Amino acid sequence: MSDDSGLWLLSLGPAGAAGLYWALYRFYRNTDKSHAFEHETAVEAKPVTGSDHKINEIKGTQQTRINGDNVRAYRKRVRRLRRRDPG
Amino acid sequence: MSRPDNSSAPEAAPTGPGSPRDVPPAPGSFPIDPETLPDPIRDEVLAPDPIAINTSAEELKDGLNRCPKCGSTEIRQKPGSDLLVCLYCRNEWHGQRVEEEFGLGTGLDDLEGTIIASGAQNIAADAASLMSFKCTGCGAEVTINTDNAMTARCHWCRHVFGVNEQVANGAVPDAVLPFHIKKDDAVARIRQFVDKRRMFALKEFKDEFTPENVIGVYLPYMIVDGKASVDVAGQGEIETRRYTRQNGKQKTTYYDADVYQVERHVDFTVDDLPLESSTERGNLDTAANTNNIINTILPFDTKNAVKWNASFLSGFSSEKRDRDVDHLHPRLEDQLLSIARAQIEKSVGRYDRGVRWDEEDVQVHGSRWVSMYLPVWLYSYQQPGRNGGMLHYIAVNGRTGETMGSVPVQQWKLLLAALTVGTFIEGFVITFLAFAS
Repeated sequence: MSDDSGLWLLSLGPAGAAGLYWALYRFYRNTDKSHAFEHETAVEAKPVTGSDHKINEIKGTQQTRINGDNVRAYRKRVRRLRRRDPG
Repeated sequence: MSRPDNSSAPEAAPTGPGSPRDVPPAPGSFPIDPETLPDPIRDEVLAPDPIAINTSAEELKDGLNRCPKCGSTEIRQKPGSDLLVCLYCRNEWHGQRVEEEFGLGTGLDDLEGTIIASGAQNIAADAASLMSFKCTGCGAEVTINTDNAMTARCHWCRHVFGVNEQVANGAVPDAVLPFHIKKDDAVARIRQFVDKRRMFALKEFKDEFTPENVIGVYLPYMIVDGKASVDVAGQGEIETRRYTRQNGKQKTTYYDADVYQVERHVDFTVDDLPLESSTERGNLDTAANTNNIINTILPFDTKNAVKWNASFLSGFSSEKRDRDVDHLHPRLEDQLLSIARAQIEKSVGRYDRGVRWDEEDVQVHGSRWVSMYLPVWLYSYQQPGRNGGMLHYIAVNGRTGETMGSVPVQQWKLLLAALTVGTFIEGFVITFLAFAS
């Protein structure tokens, strides 16, 4: 993480330029905006049910989050299950 | 070979499948007795057709909407309200709210099957955009192009005609939400939006910017109520230990975690989910267009929509729907899945290293579809460029005033600013390092 020579600080210039360009472009063009229907639609939900089973343990990973974390990426579709016949 | 005996009785006419006597089944009937079929197939065959709520206005079928007091057809919406006003005798009256008129706000929990209001039914394949009316006042033919207008004036006797008949070509929705934001207000909001984005705006855009050219447009939407169940499954991780190891000068953090198989189920109803019902507006690809701007100003207070009456559209432009319920079903399922995932998020808070959903499924138990025109003030600017350039919109919600826009950027200016700031930061860093060493 830390580098005593401090040379990593040299990357601040290009990063700052790219960050400013990106932020201003977004501010003008608003390409990231859309209707947040997940939160702005009237939804009446019954209590969420489900199950949790421990299946494994991980030791000594350097990853700070689970691989493929999509808990907040509501619009990212994953494999569609075909529903079991309720009858 | 003997000749046939002409004196004998004529042979019986052929019968059976394909013969002239094989009477085709009555429309809507099924050729096999459903009782003889397996249960799942029988259930499907005997299931009722999608139910239509009839929202058509019989009283307006001749295209004329008359003032109930004086009979004049010179009717407009009173700006800033849901009232209709007669320009001849100044009589004012309310449009009927569809919510109460057709019970659209109730019974979400009991929704079953696909309920389609009459204005949301499939558009006739042979639908023509041009509709002709015979003026009852003078007999002249008045034509209305439903692609962009719903009212026209008789050029002889000046009666005002509106397209109020739903079945004719599928162009007429069930309901309309009248404009509340007036043009002056919309102009001010657009000007304010652009004034905050002038420094790096395209020069041509700034030179040609005239917000007074904003136009009021009624855009077509399907407003959907739904009842659904969603299942999701995946894995979640809970951190159990965190520690740091030093390798020379390098420090590395390691994590231990428990991995869980997580499954969730949620039943829910949604009320008034708006879906774009025009192919063009429904294309939200931000690399190709700026329709996401118009999408962003959703939602509208659709509870206040009034029964269709073309008089509300007098003086405004409109766009015609070209998507049917069947086309929009995948979009509805997609949005229901997203809504459910947002609902479920609260139930997996203990997984501090996050959750990866691998599988999901939605079952739509019932949905109710109403076709509606929603009011939008649109300012547009065509930026020239490759592949026809890009059409930029600044849109104002005609009810809430929410404003969103896309302002074309002067690329070289933006690059120059970014490089200047980057150089400044770099210079500061180099100076700092020189002093530090």
